[in-house]
Amino acid sequence: MLDNTQSGVMTEKTPVLEVSDLSVARSNSLVIEDANFTIHQGDYVGIVGPNGGGKTTLLLALLNIIPRTKGSIRLFGQDIESFSNWEKVAYVPQDAVNFDPHFPLSVRELVALGRVNRSNLGRTLKQKDWEAVDEALEFMGISDIANRRIGQLSGGQKQRVFVAKALVRKPEIILLDEPIVGVDAGTQEKFYKKLSDLNVAKGITILLVTHDLTAVFCRMSKVMCMNRLVNVAEITEQLEPAEFLRKAYGEHFHIVFHKHECERVFEDE
Amino acid sequence: MNASGFSKMNELFDIFRLLGFQFFQNALLGGTIAALACAWVGLFLILRKEAMIGDGIAHTAFGGIALGLLLGVNPILTALLVSILAVLGISYMRRRGLAQSDSAIAVMLAVGFSTGLIIISLAGGFNVELFSFLFGSILTIDQTDLIIVSILGISTILILGIFYKELLSITFDEEGARLIGIPVRPLSLAFNLLVAITIVLSIKVIGVILVVALLVLPGLSALQLNLSFKGTTLVAIGIGIVSMITGILLSAVYNVATSGVIVFTAAGIFLFIAIYRKLE
Repeated sequence: MLDNTQSGVMTEKTPVLEVSDLSVARSNSLVIEDANFTIHQGDYVGIVGPNGGGKTTLLLALLNIIPRTKGSIRLFGQDIESFSNWEKVAYVPQDAVNFDPHFPLSVRELVALGRVNRSNLGRTLKQKDWEAVDEALEFMGISDIANRRIGQLSGGQKQRVFVAKALVRKPEIILLDEPIVGVDAGTQEKFYKKLSDLNVAKGITILLVTHDLTAVFCRMSKVMCMNRLVNVAEITEQLEPAEFLRKAYGEHFHIVFHKHECERVFEDE
Repeated sequence: MNASGFSKMNELFDIFRLLGFQFFQNALLGGTIAALACAWVGLFLILRKEAMIGDGIAHTAFGGIALGLLLGVNPILTALLVSILAVLGISYMRRRGLAQSDSAIAVMLAVGFSTGLIIISLAGGFNVELFSFLFGSILTIDQTDLIIVSILGISTILILGIFYKELLSITFDEEGARLIGIPVRPLSLAFNLLVAITIVLSIKVIGVILVVALLVLPGLSALQLNLSFKGTTLVAIGIGIVSMITGILLSAVYNVATSGVIVFTAAGIFLFIAIYRKLE
């Protein structure tokens, strides 16, 4: 795929995730059927679709947590079965924020857990690990609450903390499963803004499961809509959101989406 | 109280003189190591919502103690063997889906304790020695006991220190830890073995019946203070050691059961913090 960069030179974008003929069944029922798509470096992908449409299942399959019925997944050019460089991949699960509020952990300690991996098993975190923690806290704008207990955080703060935990690993791709459920619209907007910054400033590929269609069509580069079948499209002027989304939501689905909604979103910033 | 009683009391009141006795030094050192290991392991147990595994393994160890007394082997070693078998048994039952965690613990507790009872009845009873293991006899810790307690305790503390961040990661989010490549199952099994070792090294100090208090009370007290994980761990260990030393000294002064006073002190600290937090 070719990418028109700021310099005007056409460069080839590197595939990060290549999915071919992927089918996944859960409880003997097919949840994903014959999915084919490629995600490139720097893509910001919104995954939408009705509840039970297979969005979470897709993320879990991409992380090799659940088995495939058929098909192949390649991560950074390597078959997922032999892929070992999981430090490049970060995942924020749907229920990440539903932790025990009495768990005795400060924000800084929680984010530092993101530096724990197989390669530093049994070794204490080093200075550079703590520097990465502080950098992630600063990027997410939560340095001021670094010593606060995680049980004392608001919904929006919790989400930022978990993204910081994912970010501290210096990943090249982040998968987020509905990370902003149950917070007010203003907090949601700030959160999407931070993800956009992450995507642009650090070039991190983002796959985000969400029901916020405005955020998807205003901020992201690709939309994946799924209801067992997976459809992926570049978000361009030509893409008609309602028509595209009907592939997953059904013929009776209606959405009135105007360009000025995006202008409002960006004006608020 | 007769004259000899007063004289004995005066002698006990002299804490500095007591500290000069080998048996008292053994008690303080063994007790401190046990308290440290119990508080640290216990905090993880509370957060993993597995505090009852401590009680279960302690009661299972009773069978091992009876076996040691029957065979004339150091009961701490046989208790260690039986406790490790119990941990492996509980893990096996969970993994094979034979029983949920709490049911597996209940099964092991019952089997271990009944094994002990059968051995006692077959041996015709060894009441005095057995009593000391059921309720602890910290002041009778000899050099051999102290060496065993030190080796087990320091090994436990070292392993906890080495895998501290991995155990914290598993305790907070097991699925997430598995995803980032932490060997969750081996480390969970290793942790449960540490629980068994910690309980066994504490049996001589506090006894089978009350060891769960030494595991749980320091952690529960520290958790009320809303500190970071590091802070909670340090405070829990501090409370465990303070309870242990205060318990030993008070029991020596007032000539009452040491294990009872240790637990009472720990419970008192827990209650004090609870009231303080309520009034705050």
